[in-house]
Amino acid sequence: MSLPVRVGTLLVAFLAVVGGVIFVVIHFLLAGPPVVDYAAGVAPGQPVSIMLQEDPQNTVSNHPDWVSYFIKDPKTGAWVHTTLFQVPAGSRVNVTILGYDGCTPLRNPFWGMVTGTIGGVEDVNGSPVSVLNSWASCSVGHTFSIPGIGLNVPVASPTTLSANKNVCGLSPCTSGPHTTVTFSFNAPKSDGDYFWQCRVPCGLGYLDGFGGPMQTIGFMTGQMEVVS
Amino acid sequence: MAIETEAGTTQRPGGPDPVGTPGAGAWWARPALHTGVIGAIIGYAFGHWLGNYWAVPTANSPAAYQQIGTSDGNDFAIVLGYTFMLVGWLIGLGVFNDLVKLMLGKRLPQNGHEANGGVAKYFRFTLDHKVVGIQYLIGMIIYFCTAGLLAMGIRTELLSPVHHVFSSSVYVEIVGEHGTMMMMLMTSVILGPFGNYLIPLMIGSKRVAFPRIEALSFWLTPAAFLVLLSALPLGGFHFGWTGYPTLSVQDTSGADAYAFAFGLMGISMILASFNILVTVICYRAPGMRWGRLPMFVWGILGTGTMMALAAPILSGGMYMLLLDRTAQTAFFTDNLGGSTYLYEDLFWFFGHPEVYILALPGFAIVSELLPVFTRKPLFGYKVASAGMIGVTLLSFFVWQHHLFDSGIDPDMRPLYMLTTELISIPTGFIFLVGMGTLWKAKIRFTVPMLFCLAFYFNFLIGGISGVYLSDVPADTTEHGSFFVMAHFHYTIMGGLIFAFMGGCYYWLPKMMGISLNEKLGRVHFWLMFIAFNSTFLPLFAVGLAGQPRRVFEYARNLTTLNDWVSISSFFLGVSILIFIINFVWSTVVVRNRETGNPWKSRGLEWQVSSPPPADNFETVPVVLSGPYEYGVKDAPPVADLNPPVGVLAAGLSESETARAEA
Repeated sequence: MSLPVRVGTLLVAFLAVVGGVIFVVIHFLLAGPPVVDYAAGVAPGQPVSIMLQEDPQNTVSNHPDWVSYFIKDPKTGAWVHTTLFQVPAGSRVNVTILGYDGCTPLRNPFWGMVTGTIGGVEDVNGSPVSVLNSWASCSVGHTFSIPGIGLNVPVASPTTLSANKNVCGLSPCTSGPHTTVTFSFNAPKSDGDYFWQCRVPCGLGYLDGFGGPMQTIGFMTGQMEVVS
Repeated sequence: MAIETEAGTTQRPGGPDPVGTPGAGAWWARPALHTGVIGAIIGYAFGHWLGNYWAVPTANSPAAYQQIGTSDGNDFAIVLGYTFMLVGWLIGLGVFNDLVKLMLGKRLPQNGHEANGGVAKYFRFTLDHKVVGIQYLIGMIIYFCTAGLLAMGIRTELLSPVHHVFSSSVYVEIVGEHGTMMMMLMTSVILGPFGNYLIPLMIGSKRVAFPRIEALSFWLTPAAFLVLLSALPLGGFHFGWTGYPTLSVQDTSGADAYAFAFGLMGISMILASFNILVTVICYRAPGMRWGRLPMFVWGILGTGTMMALAAPILSGGMYMLLLDRTAQTAFFTDNLGGSTYLYEDLFWFFGHPEVYILALPGFAIVSELLPVFTRKPLFGYKVASAGMIGVTLLSFFVWQHHLFDSGIDPDMRPLYMLTTELISIPTGFIFLVGMGTLWKAKIRFTVPMLFCLAFYFNFLIGGISGVYLSDVPADTTEHGSFFVMAHFHYTIMGGLIFAFMGGCYYWLPKMMGISLNEKLGRVHFWLMFIAFNSTFLPLFAVGLAGQPRRVFEYARNLTTLNDWVSISSFFLGVSILIFIINFVWSTVVVRNRETGNPWKSRGLEWQVSSPPPADNFETVPVVLSGPYEYGVKDAPPVADLNPPVGVLAAGLSESETARAEA
């Protein structure tokens, strides 16, 4: 094989390898659900209001029977299937979560306590609450927990609160029985990405409920990106 | 012709070669890589379709093949897809062609050795052990670089504790892919290329014992590599390289890829090791007594023994895991009557001998190279070979130290602490033999020798930290931390990979007839040595400070150390890039021919031309002395490469008579 042929083959192989690496990085390693931007146009330190809902199923993905969170896009008002959102650094974050899913007893009653919020409470349908007992009344659907800032908020389930057990069947949910949970917390003053997680073992069908949606970003785990 | 009448295939030391490469024809019509890929694609499509077809719910079997009802993925179809893909891959490569021909009573057309100089033979299922060795070499470099790129991804993510390049899930996937790829494929990084290529040359044989099995062992590795990579589009796997249930039983479909690939690599190891063991035991030339066996062969013999005994346990464990995930068995599910401990035992009964499967070939290379570059006999040949046998035997009695923190019976801990400490004794034998050989030597600081010296430096740190970790209190404190990670990188990368690099610079002139660029080699060595230590030494401190493995967030006060480590790791990556550039530049572009014995080695493999002739030796040599008698006055030559006919016949008849008497 002559030198030009060898060098040419080498170049083709090199380009194929580089192309393959770029393809894998972009399509598999960096790919993920979209980030809902609550920081755009908001100065650091100014309050923002974010809205999420948790659904008993997910009819917009290839996992129709996985429980999932959705986040409302502040620009379009549409519900986006993601668990990634941005908030400004040092801002007061006012959160509203619409709880459409039924209840599951917590493995550890500790996760029924409200921690890390302003005032140490959450409002469930307008009433302040500091702890939900998931075993006595099966009142917790999921939790919204950011370990990095000590935040844990149990999201009340509508099942026992409304006595109407007809959960919504099409996501994102727009009607049907649900609870409205509101609370506020202070975002960190320095920017960074903060992992958040539901603590209820809600991976139905998985051993001990841990697995599937519990470990998958876009469903029951996500990131809060703090930007300055 | 019936098989039993084909006397020409009789296997005896130095006897005729096996037959059976595909017949000549247009390259695209001959079984090779491209037909293998076509077969694999067809096989996967069929297997996946079949899995989905069988999993269709019926009245008698509602969704029968899905353990996890809400996974929304059919693991059964994926695993069947992989299985048929493998079958298609092997059929496409022509693995079964000769067997079918033999069954049909047809004569096989050609000698197995590849005499032509074309590159097409490297893309085929071939029976030439030298071609298989080169195939292994290229394959292992590709696998190593792929896993190395993933390591760069890990260190990029760890540049900051709060700003993330990847999501937490993808980070764990990358860690798992990196760890699994390194630990499963690098088991063959020395045995594959150097073992297959050099062992027959070193023992004076014209062939290996089972050339088809040898070739098959290689062609399973690309399949295992690609299946493992396919975990990424399937959602990855999130349990690191160890695959502990219950997470591995209920993880995404990427776990199917993990278990299938790791099990497949286990089969490859079994095949490779049997071929090597039988070759060394049965195919030594006359005069190649056990006391004259090169240290490299001793090391590979020990490695092959460990592989042959440990890899079946791994493959069994992996395929039991696949059954748990697809066929509703519960081997590893406690609340269904299984046991997660069972998996941990099966895994580590392979996993800890594997550490020595990785370490022993490194020792084998440096022990082989030291006498060449010190021009002295190996100090304590018998001690070194005893050390290798000792490591091989003791490696099966230490695996429970991986379970110190898994809730095992506390009374078992001291026993395994003791056995783990005990194995440092034979390891110390081999180490001290190296030091004794270096003592008062006039060392030639060639590139291979530099890598050998670095091996001893690195392995000393890795070994001492290993003895420290073998103590239960220390292990309990440091378990799961970066301290452990730094320890095993010092032994595996600092040991195995440095030795592999030394072996590349030393034996490439023999294997390819081309020498690597010396200046680039020195730049490669110094950058790799400094960057390696700069990367992994601080990780002991990071681990002692409490940073856990496999977690992408860490305490902010560790940012500086982590940044230092990450930047050092990028330099380490650059050093490997220099090696790749040197390798490609020297073998493809410049091609500095090297046909002789550049190191003036006494090794039998260096007594023939470089690269060796198709049949290795014109006639089977008669070995006259040991390979390390450097500077020994009146030392006889290593071998008579053209012994008188009567000598060889007498030697063979003597050995056959001895066998018959035995």
